[in-house]
Amino acid sequence: MRILIADDSRVMRQIVSRTLRQAGYDGHDLVEVADGKQLYDAAVAQPPDLVLSDWNMPEMNGLEALVAIRAAGIKAPFGFVTTEGSPEMRKKAEDAGAMFLITKPFTAESFRDVLDPILR
Amino acid sequence: MTERKPSSEELLAIAEMVWTSYLDPEDEYPLVVDGVPDPGTAAADVVATVTISGAWQGRVLLAFSPPAARRATAALCGLDEADDAGDGDVADAVGELVNIIGGSVKSLMPQPTALSLPAVTTDGSADLSGTEVCRLTGTWRGEPVSVAVQESAQLYVGVSRTGETSR
Repeated sequence: MRILIADDSRVMRQIVSRTLRQAGYDGHDLVEVADGKQLYDAAVAQPPDLVLSDWNMPEMNGLEALVAIRAAGIKAPFGFVTTEGSPEMRKKAEDAGAMFLITKPFTAESFRDVLDPILR
Repeated sequence: MTERKPSSEELLAIAEMVWTSYLDPEDEYPLVVDGVPDPGTAAADVVATVTISGAWQGRVLLAFSPPAARRATAALCGLDEADDAGDGDVADAVGELVNIIGGSVKSLMPQPTALSLPAVTTDGSADLSGTEVCRLTGTWRGEPVSVAVQESAQLYVGVSRTGETSR
């Protein structure tokens, strides 16, 4: 599966990739992008099977990228991996078409809880 | 402006969560908050900040000595040696840590608020002025570390982890 990982922190993108492996999801095509605009461009160029995106990013934030991706007709499962998990933000994410929201700091277990139905 | 302020106990719980997740997952190198009065952030410290604006306004600061910043970066990046961490990685990693701490502090406060992107200085040029709400001062692996929350932050200008002037 092609998984897009969007975060403006390269270190956090590494941690997300490492946590995917620790959670047992090996062998997927992981593509890293550094902001919401790059995420949108990458999703349109080759629709992914899953998106894991930060919320707070330069250029275009994760929510704006999600809205643009859905407007482009791309239905791939989209989840936020973000520091902020308030009820308001969860509702915004859900209303825009996100499937889940994982808060940082996260564990391999928290990845498995939401990703098992998608990746297994 | 609300009277709600983050407490030292809440800040400690947040810091311990971050340490357990990323900096001390094997429970070998805990953050030691010793309560010793803060001697002041050294000029050479690596300082990362995020601002929170909206129904509550303030900022969260995380300061490491340079060796501690490199060790934190190595822990986050899965490197064996702290010396393998480049300057760009240090700014990125310390910025991400304050981002996570700031997001947790934000969640304690009345909404709506917005969290800025992190800004990091590694050359002692950080503007640390502000009205302090709470602070943790201690050591990690024998090196000084502090985490602080300030209220009503002044407009902060620093160098972001991407090398651009922060907003």
